[in-house]
Amino acid sequence: MRRAIALSCLSLTSLAGAEPSHLDVDTITEFSAYTDTDAVTVYTPALRGSVKDPLAGWSASGSYLVDIVSAASVDIVSAASPRWMEVRHAGTLSGSYEPRELGLSAFGAVSSEPDYLSLSGGGSASIDLFRKNLTLLGAYSYGHDVAGRSGTPFSVYSLTLNRHTVSTSAAIVLSRSTLLTLVGDAVLESGRQEKPYRWLPLFDASVAPSITPGSSVEEVNALRLPGRIAERVPDTRQRFALTGRFAHRGRASTWLAESRLYADSWGLVANTDDVRWVHDVSRRLSLWPHLRFNVQRGATFWKLAYVGNLSSGLVDAPEFRSGDRELSPLWSGTFGGGGRFDFGNPQERAFGLILQLEATYTDYLRALYISHRWAGFASLQAEVKL
Amino acid sequence: MDAKRLSLLVLVALTSACANVAPYQRGRLAHPTMSPDDAASLGQEHVHSVQEGATGGNVGASGGCGCN
Repeated sequence: MRRAIALSCLSLTSLAGAEPSHLDVDTITEFSAYTDTDAVTVYTPALRGSVKDPLAGWSASGSYLVDIVSAASVDIVSAASPRWMEVRHAGTLSGSYEPRELGLSAFGAVSSEPDYLSLSGGGSASIDLFRKNLTLLGAYSYGHDVAGRSGTPFSVYSLTLNRHTVSTSAAIVLSRSTLLTLVGDAVLESGRQEKPYRWLPLFDASVAPSITPGSSVEEVNALRLPGRIAERVPDTRQRFALTGRFAHRGRASTWLAESRLYADSWGLVANTDDVRWVHDVSRRLSLWPHLRFNVQRGATFWKLAYVGNLSSGLVDAPEFRSGDRELSPLWSGTFGGGGRFDFGNPQERAFGLILQLEATYTDYLRALYISHRWAGFASLQAEVKL
Repeated sequence: MDAKRLSLLVLVALTSACANVAPYQRGRLAHPTMSPDDAASLGQEHVHSVQEGATGGNVGASGGCGCN
């Protein structure tokens, strides 16, 4: 009898003390807008979600965004094309499992536009050492991009690009409040990368030196040779980056700083620095200024004015030529800020609104049509945690 | 210096920089704002990747686009 009562009590206790769910569910909806002085406007609604079980060690996340692009940039105007609109869809999925010191993850991404399709996937492995005071991670991903012409099937015309990315990182706990993360990336690209729509003016050798940075469409048309030539870049590119990320939590603020050094086989060398200082104004409100600076040396084959020679109906032009201003020497500075307000219990961060605003100035040191560009960006996010 | 010795040297350098912080002392390290993903905006990340010729620093899912 006593034994039966004891067993019954044990069963009831087990039911009453059944462990509650450990799942953390987090969703973020976002709407952002971008515009610049080069007549490009982009609206981006986006959705992100994640679910994780911290005790079991697994997590899954995904995101989906739509870029609604309207562009009448100077490159479009120089080709006598009207303003165009385009919609891009992009999604990511990832999952990870880290029950103890070892962790594995897999991820995939897709981006689709009327004339561009990008597919990528990969995985990573990590290990926590010295009671998680050091975490090492290695990752690999493969990407396959297809570029074509709007309205023309890829089976008729397309350029393909394959991308292998290897990344390693080390997260080091420097103190009870400071974390340093070092990331190394190596990207090996092979395939066609030029844009099918990009056509470049050519100049006679005697005229090219007189072309000045920022020359207008009218000035270029008055001096260029008849006709235009398609963009052509090398079929392979090896890209390397080393990034250091520093995070320090004080009593009521967090410093986040990041610096990236980059170099590639096309001769482009860049440094990017980013600083954010998050200050807790109150238990519910935090504000932060944000500064970002990027400077780069252009690709070795980048020219302000490409020299061509027309003879007997044939065009003699440089083997590699590009009109992509992001391959040119430039520097850019971003300044802005943001804030987060938490409703409900601020410690749980169950419902928060995040607003970010920033402006970017880009100085193109050796480019046609424009010498600088101002851009503005704003985003509003709503985060809900269950 | 061969690859094995270089790897060992890097590992020693990394471990020597580590502090010995116990799990119960990680309150500040676990603060949400310590993660770069805390205030991350998908739109903002995309703008930076398109406007800058460099790449790298983010491990995980990302793809290309014909945005330039």
